[in-house]
Amino acid sequence: MKNYRLAWRNLWRNRRRTMITAASIFFAVFFALVMRSLQLGTYDNLFKNIIETYSGYIQVQNENFWEDKIVDNVIGYSDELAQKIKSDENVIECIPRFESFALASSGSRTKGVLVMGIDPVKESLLSDVENKLVKYELTGEAIARLDKENIPESIKKNFSLFEGKSYATDGRILLDLGVKDRDSEMVLPLLRKHASVENGYIKQGEPGALVGDRLAKYLGLSRGDTIVLLGQGYHGTTAAGKFEIKGIVSLPAPDIESRIIYLPVDVCQDLYDTRGMLTSLALQVDDNDDKAIAETIERLDGDLEEPYRVLGWREMNETVVQQMEADDSGGMIMIGILYLVIAFGVFGTVLMMTAERRREFGVTISIGMQKTRMAMVMVYEMFYVGFIGIVLGVAVAVPIIIYGYYHPFSMSGEIAKMMEDYGFEPVMAFLWIDSYFIWQSVVVAIIVILSVIYPVRKIMKLKEVDALKA
Amino acid sequence: MKVLELKDVHKIYDKTEVEVHAVNGVSIDFIEGEFAAIVGPSGSGKTTLLNMIGGLDKPSTGVIFVDGKNLTKFKSSEIIDFRMRNIGFVFQSYNLIPVLTAKENVEFIMNLQKWPKKDRDRRTMELLEAVGLGDRGNSRPAQLSGGQQQRVAVARALATKPKFILADEPTANLDSASTYNLLDIMEKLNKEENITFIFSTHDARVVKKARRVITLEDGKVVSDITH
Repeated sequence: MKNYRLAWRNLWRNRRRTMITAASIFFAVFFALVMRSLQLGTYDNLFKNIIETYSGYIQVQNENFWEDKIVDNVIGYSDELAQKIKSDENVIECIPRFESFALASSGSRTKGVLVMGIDPVKESLLSDVENKLVKYELTGEAIARLDKENIPESIKKNFSLFEGKSYATDGRILLDLGVKDRDSEMVLPLLRKHASVENGYIKQGEPGALVGDRLAKYLGLSRGDTIVLLGQGYHGTTAAGKFEIKGIVSLPAPDIESRIIYLPVDVCQDLYDTRGMLTSLALQVDDNDDKAIAETIERLDGDLEEPYRVLGWREMNETVVQQMEADDSGGMIMIGILYLVIAFGVFGTVLMMTAERRREFGVTISIGMQKTRMAMVMVYEMFYVGFIGIVLGVAVAVPIIIYGYYHPFSMSGEIAKMMEDYGFEPVMAFLWIDSYFIWQSVVVAIIVILSVIYPVRKIMKLKEVDALKA
Repeated sequence: MKVLELKDVHKIYDKTEVEVHAVNGVSIDFIEGEFAAIVGPSGSGKTTLLNMIGGLDKPSTGVIFVDGKNLTKFKSSEIIDFRMRNIGFVFQSYNLIPVLTAKENVEFIMNLQKWPKKDRDRRTMELLEAVGLGDRGNSRPAQLSGGQQQRVAVARALATKPKFILADEPTANLDSASTYNLLDIMEKLNKEENITFIFSTHDARVVKKARRVITLEDGKVVSDITH
């Protein structure tokens, strides 16, 4: 009988023990994969939101702007500069931005805001503000009207949880309300009928503003109202202007949504008395992989002379990156503890099994089986148990992760509020199957390999006479 | 022809405060085809002597020659290989491999010796028939009675036609009927295959069947009678 067959039979001699060992490996793999996917997915979602809403992957700025964000630290925009940047293999487009601060007021309320001058057409390539205009708002009146419609109770009970919230996409409102795919065709027309919001967009050369939804709510503004901006312009001039609100935008980054006002870039330049100048050029890139971004930055840094400086998204979002790295370390410690518990569980079972089978090892070696071969049978046994546990863990985790990737968990209530306070979108997203899958499985495989060392060592040092007395 | 030769073999256990002389200067020979019993009271050194003959334990002093080869000079892996090729074991509590069927248990050592399948099958069936279990080849040990398990153990020990069979109290766990049945089978195989059988026992029924009886007391041979 071949070693692998003998090992397979040995495995099922004590089904309960095998099941317990395989189950502990299964749970380790399953929880590690799901936890890691959720953690990495949440970071990924957060970074994506910040990058796509605000910073972009790469920006070209005046070398002093990042440290001292005043409108004196600007760069002149020219077609030659744009062409030079676009000649890089990874750059698709240069999107002009003018970014500054101002005090925004409406009625008796005032707030310090981030004023972002954008090219309304080109910006669609990066932050796509036009598609972030609020489409639906779950106001009290809208909910009252929706309650009268023939909508499943399971959806209706979610209305109150999200009362007052605005939505820019069909997908997000359906996700929050827990509308299943089969009900979406019935619910969407009703949402359009009772909760839709009309919004306009800004145009180059036409004074007008888009305001973040949270900021608009804070200042009590809606479409058609006027907002007054007061700030410091180029070389100490006064920047003051009033703008009609063309639309309200809902952004997946709550922190930015609560302080942003978009203006057409030329209108913004007029406001700050900086015609023809920009604070940054945000770049649309072909490959946004970390390595490609770093290489692009390095190339552009070499191509562009003073006063230009090239910044990557990690540098521009340093605080968030550090926050995530700290959180990631915490997550790794948790997974480490999980692995440790599982490792002791597996080792405990192996220890028990080795003690129980000592006599059997003695007999088998007495009748002529070499110790190395007996040890090999043991390795096969542990390999099978590990394989069963890992494969089952992966098999169960994959559908959950795939489901979670396409249907992120939307948070509501206090948890959502807490996440928003930290500047996160209240959504728990999963990361698609990636290299972390291999690593989790490898770690568990290492645990199994380490735990097999004990019985192998015991077999190799076994004294037949003593073992036969066991 | 001598198959086994023990010369002034001693086994001293000195791990505790009291030194125990389990085997004390035993010198005996066994020739091919013997059917011998080593008898004596508990603690007389029967099992220790048998373990040393089988290479499961090493003598403190003295030498053991099997087929002219000094067993005490072998390395661990060499002795396992030597056992596989030359010695068959029958244990008091059968010690079959529980996950294997009776047939697979008998085949086990042939497998280790890489016998061709055809020869394995033929020899297995021959032995199972010889021990009266031709129809129980596919039964697992747990499905067999104690007597049947011990008969499978005898068949396993004989499978590769070893130089001799060492049986440590083979009938201790068997009822009378099974004991007589097993002894008859072993005697028959001893004669048919000309394999040396050495038992350690204090079962009078085994002693009665044995053609040579070696009596041990306090680790020493006090009598060696051939009938």
